[in-house]
Amino acid sequence: MDPITFSIIRHRLFRIVDEAVITLKHVSGSAITNEGHDLMVSLYRADGSLLMGGVGFLHHLTSAAEACKATIRRFGDDIAEGDVFLLNDPYTAALHTSDIYLVAPIHYRGELVAWSACFVHVYDIGATNPGGFCPDAPDIFTEGFSSPGIRLVSGGRVNQDVMDTLLNMVRSPEMVALDMSSMIACNNVARERMLALIEKYGHETVDEACRTLIEQSETLLRERLRELPDGSWRSRQYIDVNGEVFKVNLTMTKRDDGLVFDFSGSSPQAPHAINCTKWASLGGLFAPLFPLLCYDITWNEGVVRPIEMIAPEGSIVNCTRPAPVSVATVGAIQSVNNAACAAIGKMLDASEKYAGEATAVWHANHFAVFMFGRNQHGGEAIGILTETFAGSGGARNFADGIDVGGEIPNPISRMANVETLETIFPLRYLFRRRMTDSGGPGRYRGGAGMEIGLTPHDAPDGGLHYVVSGKGADFPMSEGLAGGYPGAPNSYIWVKNNEAGTDPRNADAGFGQSVDDLPGEQERISWGVFPLMGDDVLYLRWNGGGGYGDPLDREPGSVLEDCRAGVVSRETAARVYGVAIDEDLAAFDAAATEARRRALAAARVPAEAAE
Amino acid sequence: MSRRVSSTLEIDGGEIRCRKCGHALGPKGAPWKHAAAMTEIPMRGAAGIPYSGGERVVLRRFACPGCGALLDSETALPEDPFLDDVLFD
Amino acid sequence: MNGEKTYVIATDVGGTCTDTVVFAAGEPVHIGKALSTPPDFANGVLDSIRSAADSMGFGLEDLLKRTGLFTHGSTVVDNALLTRDGARTGLITTEGFEDTLLVTRGAYGRWAGLAEEGLKHPVKTDRAPSLVPAERIRGIPERVDYKGAVIRELDEEAAEAAIRHLVEAMGVEAIAICFLWSCYNPDHERRVRDIAAAVAPGAYVTISSDIAPVPGEYERTSTTVINAYAGRIAYDYITDLEALLAEKGYGGPLLVMQGYGGLLPAEESSRRAVGMIECGPAAGVIGARFLGGAMGDPDVIAADMGGTTFKVGVIQGGELEFAREPLVDRYHYVAPKIEVVSIGAGGGSIVSLEPRTNVPRVGPKSAGARPGPVCYGLGGVEPTLTDVMTLIGYMDPEIFLGGAMRLDVDAARAAFEAKIARPMGMAVNEAAFGIFRVAAAQIADLIHEITVERGLDPRDFVLHAFGGSCPLLAGVFGRELSVKRIVVPYTAAVNCAFGLVSADVVHEFAHTTMRPVPTPAEEINALYAPMVERARDQLGAEGFAEDDIALQWSADLRYRRQVHEVTTPVRAATPLDEAGLEALVSDFEALYERKYGKGSAYRGAGIEMTMFRLSARGRMTRPEIPAEPLAGEDARAARRGRRDVFVEAEGGLAPADIYDFAALAPGNLVAGPAVIHTPITTIVVQAAQTARMDPWRNIVIAFD
Repeated sequence: MDPITFSIIRHRLFRIVDEAVITLKHVSGSAITNEGHDLMVSLYRADGSLLMGGVGFLHHLTSAAEACKATIRRFGDDIAEGDVFLLNDPYTAALHTSDIYLVAPIHYRGELVAWSACFVHVYDIGATNPGGFCPDAPDIFTEGFSSPGIRLVSGGRVNQDVMDTLLNMVRSPEMVALDMSSMIACNNVARERMLALIEKYGHETVDEACRTLIEQSETLLRERLRELPDGSWRSRQYIDVNGEVFKVNLTMTKRDDGLVFDFSGSSPQAPHAINCTKWASLGGLFAPLFPLLCYDITWNEGVVRPIEMIAPEGSIVNCTRPAPVSVATVGAIQSVNNAACAAIGKMLDASEKYAGEATAVWHANHFAVFMFGRNQHGGEAIGILTETFAGSGGARNFADGIDVGGEIPNPISRMANVETLETIFPLRYLFRRRMTDSGGPGRYRGGAGMEIGLTPHDAPDGGLHYVVSGKGADFPMSEGLAGGYPGAPNSYIWVKNNEAGTDPRNADAGFGQSVDDLPGEQERISWGVFPLMGDDVLYLRWNGGGGYGDPLDREPGSVLEDCRAGVVSRETAARVYGVAIDEDLAAFDAAATEARRRALAAARVPAEAAE
Repeated sequence: MSRRVSSTLEIDGGEIRCRKCGHALGPKGAPWKHAAAMTEIPMRGAAGIPYSGGERVVLRRFACPGCGALLDSETALPEDPFLDDVLFD
Repeated sequence: MNGEKTYVIATDVGGTCTDTVVFAAGEPVHIGKALSTPPDFANGVLDSIRSAADSMGFGLEDLLKRTGLFTHGSTVVDNALLTRDGARTGLITTEGFEDTLLVTRGAYGRWAGLAEEGLKHPVKTDRAPSLVPAERIRGIPERVDYKGAVIRELDEEAAEAAIRHLVEAMGVEAIAICFLWSCYNPDHERRVRDIAAAVAPGAYVTISSDIAPVPGEYERTSTTVINAYAGRIAYDYITDLEALLAEKGYGGPLLVMQGYGGLLPAEESSRRAVGMIECGPAAGVIGARFLGGAMGDPDVIAADMGGTTFKVGVIQGGELEFAREPLVDRYHYVAPKIEVVSIGAGGGSIVSLEPRTNVPRVGPKSAGARPGPVCYGLGGVEPTLTDVMTLIGYMDPEIFLGGAMRLDVDAARAAFEAKIARPMGMAVNEAAFGIFRVAAAQIADLIHEITVERGLDPRDFVLHAFGGSCPLLAGVFGRELSVKRIVVPYTAAVNCAFGLVSADVVHEFAHTTMRPVPTPAEEINALYAPMVERARDQLGAEGFAEDDIALQWSADLRYRRQVHEVTTPVRAATPLDEAGLEALVSDFEALYERKYGKGSAYRGAGIEMTMFRLSARGRMTRPEIPAEPLAGEDARAARRGRRDVFVEAEGGLAPADIYDFAALAPGNLVAGPAVIHTPITTIVVQAAQTARMDPWRNIVIAFD
């Protein structure tokens, strides 16, 4: 087609998504949508296939396509202009119940020509636990309201009975109502702008541009795949829940211009809410695939076509009803996404041309702590600690991972200021800083994670409760690449009645600066609902990014710099990097370093192997 | 001409080799990890205090038997197989 | 002001050029231009004034002696940040939170300021290197809570030791001090400042509760660091310029533009480096507002397109919008600053084809001023948007920049054909028209998104087209957006300098504290009383009479549990009574719904006020520019022939009348398609558009 018109229409389609995202954020006004950027807006073809994916939480791009398709299957001819459908059943298309899809048909002169779809993580979904993450849910029935497709808006008019029914089942219905309004407004903007585009250029031309856009993405990805070497790469993720271990196994095979993700050998579905459905797994593997392989290609159906997924039924990555899935987004889905990131990283690293795109795994482990209770202003506070979005970058083929640099599947999140969090919650932070030695060692170091200490402050009920669905306390999940170590695992510690907090003789009482500085009884926790009352402290430390390459190849000067910045300890510098650094961090000893590195390399080779 | 396998390995003369010293690790197209020098260390404390994971978790380090260069590493439970990667012809 | 000192000079130092306008009652505006001279910008300032003086038949000193007021804007602070040329800076903060600056609220600092290409490609993104590295950051035991209550006493000994360490061991020249919640209780910061003054009298010290007393420790810390980092440079620059002007005979005050669009006396400005960030573009918007006001247009989209960037400011109902998350380079800061959205699109933007698909795109790479477009003949080999303009007949190769430069059309054609047209399988003309349409459509998309973001409709706005490249495209994207009409101001080439003379002295005050709705009006008035007193004292001391002082109150309000805050002006009489306060709240609700959309308000949660602002204005008396008498509509006297140019409605070349701007008289009417050449730009009037010169020599383009 005419490349000029094509270029103009493509740009406008991207802007339409952008304007719809702005609308979503504006109307919603919630912290998780605006700060966490836990949202997605995309455009779909008339048949529900992905046309233009936006930069949001990328797990959802393909699942929302399935939501459109499921709506088409369910409602058939009964889809009219101005309708909006709600869908949040994970066994139909959604990831978990609290991520609600609103999908809306776009009609031009009576004909269905496209769909827009969006999601936000709603304030509450009426599940056992406030906020929707229910670590102890035995099945989907306890995970709140769930619909395989229901008409929320008919011909532009909200079906108030449907809306009221939904709002009747959730905590803080006013907040959920705002979430709903924001998604309706967002779909409206997408429709208006899409229709304006069709008005200007004509339906045929826009349709041709859309078709071309998808074909082009397919051609581009297939060409790229052909440039990459053929091979198969494996990765594995462990998910620990209260001492039980579940595995996601991946063999990724690339032949010619196709890519197969085979999850055979993954654990059977779990009795815990970490499972995910197959649509969720597909979303999970596409989340890293879009930015790692398609950074210069439009994210649409064309990118989906060359990819095949094998996910055994009844497994943790393709569970069957009624297995619980509310923790999926930070459970199996995230593990699928980590496994895919690790395998794609290896494939890129095998290519002379694309090695510069290779990365170790970023932020493999959301800790998703939901706080709930009454706050110091007398109001209700339910909310996620946005630190969970502030993961750390995996090391790259050419540079260190970015300390607290975010994550791949949700590239543009933000962590709230301490001053914001201390206003919303009756809490006081003891510290929030980068964690020494958390980044995976390597020639290029994985980005550092952080550690925080939280204690109640001015809480009318003496404190709060929180839901923690924190895997990754036993296993590091941010795998390294090319020999790089994985980033450090998470750690969740409940310090009961931090005694120093009440000791009047100690001027610094209650201001402990490290976990060792908190003298109460310490209990490792990771799963369930816990109190944070009185002088309790929640200590939380999160994973660093994976390293890249041999730590003994790291520039000694960079190791010294890391020590000065407090990101690497002197001990680790010596023991893992083999760099001898002065006690006052003034310099490293080149000769001693050289000798140490030789000795460490030699120690890797057992005597019999060296012979 | 050599062919890249990863930033630490290459194929030369039909063999997978360490890129640093050329040490051979078996024929191309086949898994190579069993030919590497493998040390399995507890993940706990593997690289500093934050490595505080489960007792049974290990860090497998696959090194070149020739020069000790680290070729790959993986997180594992002792009973789990190696993550074998293969480059096709 | 002194009767003999009749002139007002305004000089704006931009990245490339330093522009001057000179005003006097009853005289036309005089214009001066010179190249900017970083890092010693003052030389360029004198060159620029000299250029204006020349055109008036004066020497530099003659002009300065007759000048009663000098207003100034400068890119000196932006430049210091861009070139990382600031002071060696240290940071003192609350123990436990030493990394706040470095981790930039997580991914935020990594992606902020990136375009789509960057956002989609996280592996290739990084933060901008911190202005203060980890080893020069020291945490001090102290703590204040969200109410402003001290919950851990300041450890003064630790503070002193930290300052000594930074100065003596780390060699810092500037110290930024930012503690948690200092916006509600600045006591600890002030005490550490005093310790620093005693221990390290040579260091330049900035405390956050002075420079940015607002909640949000990351942005507040970043602002404090920027101010410390660039503080000495700004101070030296302003004091040196004052001395230099005095030496050349100038005896009046020096007023310096701020990013919020108001002027500050030199002395005050020299202590607030962050205030000067992006003050040039802010002045541009002020100028557009002034012109819009004079022309009876309170709603203006001000679009400025030069060689490398496209900048847009929006004026609605005569009000300016402040940026919510200002960035300089890629550093966040928080200071009142007029929102000017900037993208990398200009005449120098390189036209390229995407590898493999051959889909054309404009930018984001730019050939800049050097080597510049191919047609400049300065070594540029990549075809740019300016080359495309040349190929479609918009530029007259002989009279470009008033004849100062001859354009090499053949070279532009050859490069464009080889790199763009042939690979696309199109004829040169056809491809060039296409690229032009792509550029215009992308600009329309950008402006549309900007207006949507503000809940506005572009059809309600007049488009002002500034800069060398904008008037070439405005006829097309202005029509696509259906703006009311397009104005190409007479001062389009020196727009920012023009803004400087139309600005007032403005002091911004703010008091940060949380108050629920309702709160008794008395309590609000009590918060304002000290600010009002300070404002009156300050403006009084600067010589403003009571009648020339205007105090505007405004407050930031939000719905509880919602993140969006809206700065709402107080329209009622101040001090407030209960009715006035109620009116403020209902204004907030209306503004909120306008900006964030119908149904976005959640009243159930209640409303709270988070900040109380006072904008204290000292009105400047400025000379009036005389309106020229209108000649007839007949523009034939200015016609310089006819040539084929790209006419969008025709989809190809069509004959158009060519006009010389200098020969046009107010009242003349030019029917499109037509091209008007001015010494600095070219105005393209598309078919079904008519351009009229108004009594102030602005070109007003209306749609038929």
